[in-house]
Amino acid sequence: MIDFSVFVFYAFAAVLLAAGAGVIVSRNPVHAALWLVLAFFSGSGLWMLLEAEFLAISLVLVYVGAVMVLFLFVVMMLDINLDRLREGFWRYFPVGGLVALLMVGELVLASLSKNFATMGRNLPAAPADYSNTRELGMLLYTQYLYPFELAAVILLVAIVAAIALTLRRRTNTKYQNPAQQVRVKRADRVRMVDIASGETAE
Amino acid sequence: MSTIPNFAPAAAEILLLALVSLVLVIDLYIDQARRALTYYLSQGTVLLTVLVLVNHVNTAPVFTFSNMFVDDTLGRVLKVLVLLTVSVVFAYGRQYAEERDMLKGEFFSLILFATLGMMVLISANHFLTLYLGLELLALAQYALVALQRDSARATEAAMKYFVLGALASGLLLYGMSMIYGGTGSLNLQEVAQGLASGRVDHVVASVGLVFIVAGLAFKLGVVPFHMWIPDVYEGAPTAVTLFIGSAPKIAGVAFFVRMLGEGLAPLAHDWQQMLVLLAVVSMALGNITAIAQTNLKRMLAYSTISHMGFVLLGILAATQQGYAAATFYISTYTLMALGAFGVMLLLSRAGFEAEQLNDYKGLNKRNPWFALIMLLVMISMAGIPPSVGFFAKLSVLRAALDAGYTWLVVVAVLLSLIGAFYYLRVIKLMYMDEPEDTSPIGGDLDVRVLLSVNGLAVLLFGILPQPLLSLFNHAVVQSLR
Amino acid sequence: MSATKALLLLIPLAPLFGALLAGLFGRAIGRTGAHLATILGVATALGAALVVANMVFAQGFRYNENLYTWLSIGTLQLNVGFLIDPLTATMMVVVTFVSLMVHIYTIGYMHEDPGYQRFFSYIALFTFAMLMLVMSNNFLQLFFGWEAVGLVSYLLIGFWFTRPTAVYANMKAFLVNRVGDFGFLLGIGMVLAYTGSLDYTTVFGFAQGLGGSMVTLIPGHAWSLMTVICILLFIGAMGKSAQMPLHVWLPDSMEGPTPISALIHAATMVTAGIFMVSRMSPLFEMSATARSVVLVIGATTALFMAFLGIIQYDIKRVVAYSTLSQLGYMTVALGVSAYPVAIFHLATHAFFKALLFLGAGSVIHAMHHEQDMRHMGGLRKHLPITYWTAVVGSLALAGIPPFAGFYSKDLIIEAVQASHAAGSEYALFAVMAGVFITAFYSFRMLFMTFHGDERMDHHTREHLHESPWVITLPLVLLAIPSLLSGLMGVQPLVFGDYFGSAIVLGPDSPVLELRKEWEGVLHFTLHGMTALPFFLALSGIALSAWMYLLRPDVPAAIKARMGGIYTLLDNKYYFDRFNEVVFAGGAQVLGGGLFRIGDQTIIDGGLVNGSAALVARGAGLIRRLQTGFLYNYAFMMIFGVFALLTIWLFKA
Repeated sequence: MIDFSVFVFYAFAAVLLAAGAGVIVSRNPVHAALWLVLAFFSGSGLWMLLEAEFLAISLVLVYVGAVMVLFLFVVMMLDINLDRLREGFWRYFPVGGLVALLMVGELVLASLSKNFATMGRNLPAAPADYSNTRELGMLLYTQYLYPFELAAVILLVAIVAAIALTLRRRTNTKYQNPAQQVRVKRADRVRMVDIASGETAE
Repeated sequence: MSTIPNFAPAAAEILLLALVSLVLVIDLYIDQARRALTYYLSQGTVLLTVLVLVNHVNTAPVFTFSNMFVDDTLGRVLKVLVLLTVSVVFAYGRQYAEERDMLKGEFFSLILFATLGMMVLISANHFLTLYLGLELLALAQYALVALQRDSARATEAAMKYFVLGALASGLLLYGMSMIYGGTGSLNLQEVAQGLASGRVDHVVASVGLVFIVAGLAFKLGVVPFHMWIPDVYEGAPTAVTLFIGSAPKIAGVAFFVRMLGEGLAPLAHDWQQMLVLLAVVSMALGNITAIAQTNLKRMLAYSTISHMGFVLLGILAATQQGYAAATFYISTYTLMALGAFGVMLLLSRAGFEAEQLNDYKGLNKRNPWFALIMLLVMISMAGIPPSVGFFAKLSVLRAALDAGYTWLVVVAVLLSLIGAFYYLRVIKLMYMDEPEDTSPIGGDLDVRVLLSVNGLAVLLFGILPQPLLSLFNHAVVQSLR
Repeated sequence: MSATKALLLLIPLAPLFGALLAGLFGRAIGRTGAHLATILGVATALGAALVVANMVFAQGFRYNENLYTWLSIGTLQLNVGFLIDPLTATMMVVVTFVSLMVHIYTIGYMHEDPGYQRFFSYIALFTFAMLMLVMSNNFLQLFFGWEAVGLVSYLLIGFWFTRPTAVYANMKAFLVNRVGDFGFLLGIGMVLAYTGSLDYTTVFGFAQGLGGSMVTLIPGHAWSLMTVICILLFIGAMGKSAQMPLHVWLPDSMEGPTPISALIHAATMVTAGIFMVSRMSPLFEMSATARSVVLVIGATTALFMAFLGIIQYDIKRVVAYSTLSQLGYMTVALGVSAYPVAIFHLATHAFFKALLFLGAGSVIHAMHHEQDMRHMGGLRKHLPITYWTAVVGSLALAGIPPFAGFYSKDLIIEAVQASHAAGSEYALFAVMAGVFITAFYSFRMLFMTFHGDERMDHHTREHLHESPWVITLPLVLLAIPSLLSGLMGVQPLVFGDYFGSAIVLGPDSPVLELRKEWEGVLHFTLHGMTALPFFLALSGIALSAWMYLLRPDVPAAIKARMGGIYTLLDNKYYFDRFNEVVFAGGAQVLGGGLFRIGDQTIIDGGLVNGSAALVARGAGLIRRLQTGFLYNYAFMMIFGVFALLTIWLFKA
């Protein structure tokens, strides 16, 4: 049992890392987005392994189902020339790669399991009728109420910002205003002019 | 667990959120001609929040929301300062925004949301709330920088700010996760206990600390995490630069004090040395590069970097005296930044930004009074007595000296001497040179009065610094252990 | 706030209020408003000072409290506070009284001047600053007051700023005082460094323990800490109280209007140095070496400045040199540890010297701003009140009993006689000779101005008349203490325990010896009339009477014979020339050299252009970092993290 879950963990983790690398190195942005989808799937698999079913499913639903699809639409519509964007990639690769490599080495060194050995914290075994979703909900609306509300405010700001930055009222486009059309009075449109014979209208 | 939390300590935040939402909705029904109403509503929001804050001050810290929120004297003092700064930003920036077609409801609501973020940050007692407050602030700032949509410069600056800000957030989160992995908690007091107990591996703690310090340093704009500052300061519309360069710095110092001074206090020995490094390179790079600038906004950007180096001198003392000195320093710096950008906004008009140093030539001949205000601000930034900037420098240097960093103090004094050069150059331009531009200087009466008070306050607090100094001493002593 | 505190605050704040009113709203309140505001302010201060002095004198009232913490950083506390003891009380009364007289006098003297309100504002401001100086309970406030009185003094010397001489004089005063202030500031710095406090009481408490401390300023030479501190502080006093060789600014300060010569450059500000040393008596009593320095410098000033008084023809300059000489006397008293005697002479001198200056001013006013005594003479008939008050002043200055100057000056001489300090023999000779010369030149001035032939031109003679009452009233009011203050004051001030613990007297202070021999005022007066100084003074007066009343041809003959000495005196011992050649010239040569080598080569070539090049290169480098490319910025950040991480991982 334990051996199998370890095996699954390493499998998902390896796929996750490979997919992450794929996002960075693939030349085609659509491919990159698809790699990202794979990364999300692997991540959700890891969460499943931790018995966080709700999170795993919402990751797939929200990120893969909504965010990435939207993202793909945008990428396909914009026709970005990625080659031009990554012109400097190989020029800076030696330095950047070296730093990255060293840093990865350092981080691996730091996160060796012996350093966390002192923690020794085991997850409590969950009873059979344990509902992950319910527990999350309980926590979110009690202990984590404050950060939860803050996150909501951040989303609100994101909406405000997005609208402020993108919504334009074009002044040169013609459009109908039905309300105005309905409210129109005769006096607005028709002017009665008395013209005596022999005179011309002004 | 299911009891209703105590909302009273966060009354100001809740009120602010409610009022911002109200302003946001009301603004939808106002046409452009009556945008002034939004301005007054925003000012009213800020001032009401201030009233709630000063209404009642606890002598001892009060915790609420599962200990994620702390209400203490230091927090209240800093929040009031942030709010007052925002109020001044609204007043100074209004005409500028109007002339550039930026005076939309979003200009006010985004700044108010950012203010809420700062207040959350100042009162945070938990990694999660620290982070969320920071993101709330940052997100609003990114949008504000890009608010002038048709300006390529502003859009580019916003893009850089956004990407680098995201990177910095990533660094910060990574550091937090390391500390969480080590201590098993996100609460500042529990983290401190965990670290103090010695159960946490030193390597893990060090890695976490490095990433957290990097994230914090980005927020204040400390070398080498400062790269966004010159570009964003220059690229953003001046009214937004005024905001970015003032209030968020106060929140940034609060962030340092909460995170390092409270949560990571047991690691003080390590982060002190990190801050020493960052402080020295910041003061050096900021002061030296500022000399080479011809654009006042860029010059002030580099001057900010050097000032943040000085703020670190107070924080790295890791004593109550040091925290008090750092908060005092940042408050006076905010006062000076408001004054400098205020004069810049006063001189600018539609189609003219007043951001080149040469635009200040002969200001004394054009308007001696505001030349004097600018002179006071520059003298204060250079740290020359009897301006408040002198006492700000004196108090952080004293704190660093008392903490045993004699050589650092010597270096700081030398670098500030180099720094005096470019401030004095502004004075020279204003007083010795002939004006190139003789157009009249506009500005509404309220802005002129406010700016005069702003400039004279720099002098007044320089002559009588003690009330302000004891305010921060008092606040720190009551709030931090 | 207690009533006492309010009363004490009233003393400096009332003149300040008047000064602000006259200075900021001078145009609005007009001339009458300006002088009423300032006079009321100073009169209030005088009233309050008298009340406080009475409390101090009669009820033994003492006060030492910090009123306001101006700044506290770490352990260092900088306060504004008052220390009220007999020494302060004496100074407060003297300052406010003389200031009030000068204020009233100014109404008449300056009534034609366009800068009327400005002048009143300055002198009231000066009164405020001087009061803050004497009432201070710490070094910092002392220094601030010290600089503030200096500032007002420069402003007033250059009051007629359209005159080039006035501008030159105030610049000179400014520069010379900087030299003194530099020493003073160093002294205060050393006090702070070694005691960690600027509070008088704390510092004096520490001083006992620091008596034996040594300090090494130049490697291999250890000096007594107290000697170094005291000499540095005394350098400050030398600047302000115009002791040789820092005296050169005082004669030139006569370019200012006469009322301020009386108030600032005779009665009060210049005595700040004397006051300061007396206040620091606990420190000076720790160092005999420092006291000897004080003694020798004082004696030299007393004698050599008196000589210069002989040959002056400008009436104000005669009084100015007599002031220098008298300040020398006070310094001598300090040098032999006779602090109460110095303060006593300070007080009597304030009265009679203000009287003489104001009298001279009255003459100048009547003569339409003519100051040369060669164009005066016979004014006795035209200016009777001025004449008689001038007689009182001159008798007091010459030291004829029972006028005030006699008591204080005679005590100084006796103190020097009784002293065993190094240099006291020289000082004794100087002060003895000084008595003769003082009497000579003060009566020379009196005779040349008020007696003899009327040498002024016809037009001036036509318009000669006694000055208005606002001028003569202060003269009369000052003549009274010039006559009586010595007689009344000698017993309590010097021989009573008036100063109590405010002044510390060492075991070998001659004052203690004098106290043993004290047998009452009458006996002292009679004894004085049989002693040598009295006869020296009388013969001085007789000689000047002979030369300037009976044989007016003699001075010219002497002048012709004694060409060398005359030239020496006429050039004021070449001090100014020396300063010009050595200091100014040297500074110019040095400056020129530094300009060529330092400025052009090192600074312009190396530092400015070099640093500009360096900065340009550095900025170019940093500008290369600041590429504007996002990935560079991001790399910078990552690299920063990497560097920190590497350092700390290796440490951990």
